[in-house]
Amino acid sequence: MKFQSKSEAETESIGRRLGKKLKRGDVVCLYGGLGSGKTTMARGIASALGISERDVTSASFTVIAEHDADIPFYHIDLYRISPHNVSELGLHEYLESDGICVIEWAGRAEGELPERIIRVSLRYTGEDCREIDITGIEL
Amino acid sequence: MLILGIETSCDDTSAAVVEDGCRIISNVVSSQDDIHNRYGGIVPELASRRHMEMIVPVVREAMDRAGAGPGDISAVAVTHGPGLIGSLLVGVCFAKSLAFVHDLPLVAVNHLEGHIYSVFLEAAPEFPFIALVVSGGHTSIYIVKGFGMYTEVARTRDDAAGEAYDKVSKLLGSGYPGGPVIDKMARRGNPEAIAFPRAKLKKGRDFSFSGLKTAVLNYIRKHPESRKEDIAAGFQASVVEVLTDRVIEMAGLYGVNNITLSGGVSANSSLRRRMTERAAAKGMRVYLPSPHLCTDNAAMIAAAGYRCFIEGRFAGPALNPKACLPLGSGPRPD
Repeated sequence: MKFQSKSEAETESIGRRLGKKLKRGDVVCLYGGLGSGKTTMARGIASALGISERDVTSASFTVIAEHDADIPFYHIDLYRISPHNVSELGLHEYLESDGICVIEWAGRAEGELPERIIRVSLRYTGEDCREIDITGIEL
Repeated sequence: MLILGIETSCDDTSAAVVEDGCRIISNVVSSQDDIHNRYGGIVPELASRRHMEMIVPVVREAMDRAGAGPGDISAVAVTHGPGLIGSLLVGVCFAKSLAFVHDLPLVAVNHLEGHIYSVFLEAAPEFPFIALVVSGGHTSIYIVKGFGMYTEVARTRDDAAGEAYDKVSKLLGSGYPGGPVIDKMARRGNPEAIAFPRAKLKKGRDFSFSGLKTAVLNYIRKHPESRKEDIAAGFQASVVEVLTDRVIEMAGLYGVNNITLSGGVSANSSLRRRMTERAAAKGMRVYLPSPHLCTDNAAMIAAAGYRCFIEGRFAGPALNPKACLPLGSGPRPD
């Protein structure tokens, strides 16, 4: 399903809509360049799971941010990780858990990802505009 | 009274012996930059493995340099969060074992509290003060009314300031960590050549550095021929202005005359200069740690640990590290 977002608030709201449909064990992979809205999307998803939007900041520094909620929420950001080091991270522990994983820069973990993923591609189409394509789930 | 401090929250293994919370007797920091540089950032699994290798020699060296044995130490203070969980675990387990074996009290220090107390290793600011903690992982402003009395009054909603430096450095094709690189490049650029947006939210007091990063990216896309030095200078001017304005504004709002800066980004020359100038114009005083105490170190943990000791804030053998550990509690005063 394709969305045209015209602002950060819209991107977050699309994330919230996706978040409401997620179940335990789901893995959401976010694809898109720097500034395409991945963290905003993750924040929207988290807010649907009952996590304060203010608590979802960039995970680039720590790579994996764990949030306690009814369903554990793992916010993973592979920005700093090169594809041949991704196996060192122990990602499978999160991917095979009964929490929900959202992975930014998921392209860097292609070999590590499970078969069934929810794929979200974000594309820059103008200063405030983004095209968001979500596949692998009915919205 | 001597406190042994241990800090392993991120990618530096550090141990220090500090007297009375203010005199550094020894402060050993083993950086892991050599491991993480080639990945352009910290790889958590590699960080915790290196902590495992380094914790014993680093603590031993801190004790040796201080000429102290376990019998000379009054307590062991350790960072228990926030940070990388695997890294924190190494320091916490080691500190617990050491305290148990030598029958010493154990003190758990919040890493951010440690940063605030880094200032006390060189000066004695009076309470209350406004504290800016700004690094690669954190950007928050606190009002500090006394020891243990912290209220967060502003924070970043997305990227930490140091992270924005790293990302912009990468966009400009330069190295990691981005802070010192951009700081140096900016000195040769014109900060007024490019007007980047200010990293504030339209509503409220929080920061947002993600939009600034995107603005730099857009600019580079549209103007690939522009001078990197000018981009660095324009970007830095935005970061520094926003941090400085907000800190001065909060000091005014709370009627506070003392300001402290800490965390890795507080080593930035432009931030130090501008904050000091702006504060002086308002009759406020800024306390800046020396650059080597801005970045992660165990001396600041021992300094905060001393105050925990005085207040009787001890931890037990059940102490566990926490990746997410906000400093201060209760609702924000608006």
